[in-house]
Amino acid sequence: MNPYVLSILLMGLGLGTTVTFASSHWLLAWMGLEMNTLAILPLMAQHHHPRAVEAATKYFLIQSAAAATILFASSTNAWLSGQWDIQHITHPLPTVMITIALSLKLGLAPLHAWLPEVVQGLDLTTGLVLSTWQKLAPFALLLQISPEIPLLITSLGLISMLAGGWGGLNHTQLRKVLAYSSVAHLGWMMVVMQFSTSLTALALLMYVIMTTSAFLTFKLLKSTDMNSLAMSWAKTPSVTALAPMMLLSLGGLPPLSGFLPKWLIIQELTKQELGLVATVAALSALLSLFFYLRVCYCLTFTSSPNNLAGVAPWRLESKQISLPLATSTSLSILLLPISPAILSLTLPLF
Amino acid sequence: MVYMTYLLLIGLVLGLAAVASNPSPYFAALGLVTVAGMSCGILVGYGGSFLSLILFLIYLGGMLVVFAYSAALASEPYPEGWGSWPVSTLMLVYVLLVVCVSVFFSGGWFEGSWVTVDEFSEFTLFRGDSGGVALMYSSGGGVLMLGGWVLLLTLFVVLELTRGLSRGTLRAV
Repeated sequence: MNPYVLSILLMGLGLGTTVTFASSHWLLAWMGLEMNTLAILPLMAQHHHPRAVEAATKYFLIQSAAAATILFASSTNAWLSGQWDIQHITHPLPTVMITIALSLKLGLAPLHAWLPEVVQGLDLTTGLVLSTWQKLAPFALLLQISPEIPLLITSLGLISMLAGGWGGLNHTQLRKVLAYSSVAHLGWMMVVMQFSTSLTALALLMYVIMTTSAFLTFKLLKSTDMNSLAMSWAKTPSVTALAPMMLLSLGGLPPLSGFLPKWLIIQELTKQELGLVATVAALSALLSLFFYLRVCYCLTFTSSPNNLAGVAPWRLESKQISLPLATSTSLSILLLPISPAILSLTLPLF
Repeated sequence: MVYMTYLLLIGLVLGLAAVASNPSPYFAALGLVTVAGMSCGILVGYGGSFLSLILFLIYLGGMLVVFAYSAALASEPYPEGWGSWPVSTLMLVYVLLVVCVSVFFSGGWFEGSWVTVDEFSEFTLFRGDSGGVALMYSSGGGVLMLGGWVLLLTLFVVLELTRGLSRGTLRAV
């Protein structure tokens, strides 16, 4: 893509999230969300093939519907209460509408059906931007309105964990697996939102780090389905050794850092006398763990499932910058021992 | 005056039902013209003459014209109007739905509370729509520039998406 256009689009993405973070008026928040939607569309369609254009179209329609609902709900709130402040929204009707619209934007179940198909049609870099950066702005708004509708948020979280776990089973395409993992992690972030927004933010931060590592690993290995993971030992043995750790961290297995948010969330839920929710959450993590484990299993193969006359893939030297992958993989594996430090840094902030 | 507003509102709702009943884009655009025209009339009736003028010029005279040209480019041989069975059935359903909902909600507190957004005392008059425009340029200057930048970003997005004609992203036209 033309580098000037690319830089304008990326700066538009940054500006959109910044505007939503800085806003206290619903219209300004809506403007930031629309900027994010618009700026990512050419990035999605940049490879000009029909699947990418289909993904961009689906993304555009879904996000526009959600943005229109946010506009409608904030106008309704202005009509009913006379003001546009984000944190002073109290009437249940607009609050529920905005929550549903934001969960459509994020890909929370039961409004998650678009996410696997959109992520599948994108290349891994754009999929990474979609799964990490585009989640930040709607999250900022949800954190601010969550005190009003705790039951809805917790229900959305529970359903997302279960839908993300069950939906991710029996896939061969890695991008769809990562999309369902996104749904499940968003569910974990939602269930604790009514009790501790800091834990939600911590879970989001950990999810961003681990997903960055996952997408960058698959990009380095140039593999988008599980069969092609089998030859990763010949491409980069070190990544092949560390990638299972990173995937199990996504699954929330101790002693990896993905265990930290899940542990703290279950602890908080238990302290708040929601033992059943905590149990369902822990059991749904088992569902997700299964498909992460399946991807790890494919990484341990030494030859890809193929006919005898099949051709081995090209193993060219990769020009990808290794620093982001190295940093995010290290962080997604090794952070658990310093959890008190992480907690002291994140808990007072939100 | 009330009768005039009543007629305009009926036209508005009928136009909305006409758009929502899924005819071909040409007829839907006609429905949109009706909706915009009626709503401009209602706006004028409640003191928002500037807003109504802007709506007519920009919405009908700018965006709808561009839409009409685009729809003409992607024309179909047998367009469906309101003479065709599915479209007219859907329109009937929507009109009936509106009648039911209005019967359900009639007589509430919101029936008699439409007022203009003007403020006036002995020697001053503040018109809602023009005052809003003045505010947009004074206190809202920063957000106005942000809005202008977002429109420029939209232009770049559209140009990038349609770059390349038959080799580009949108290859049909």
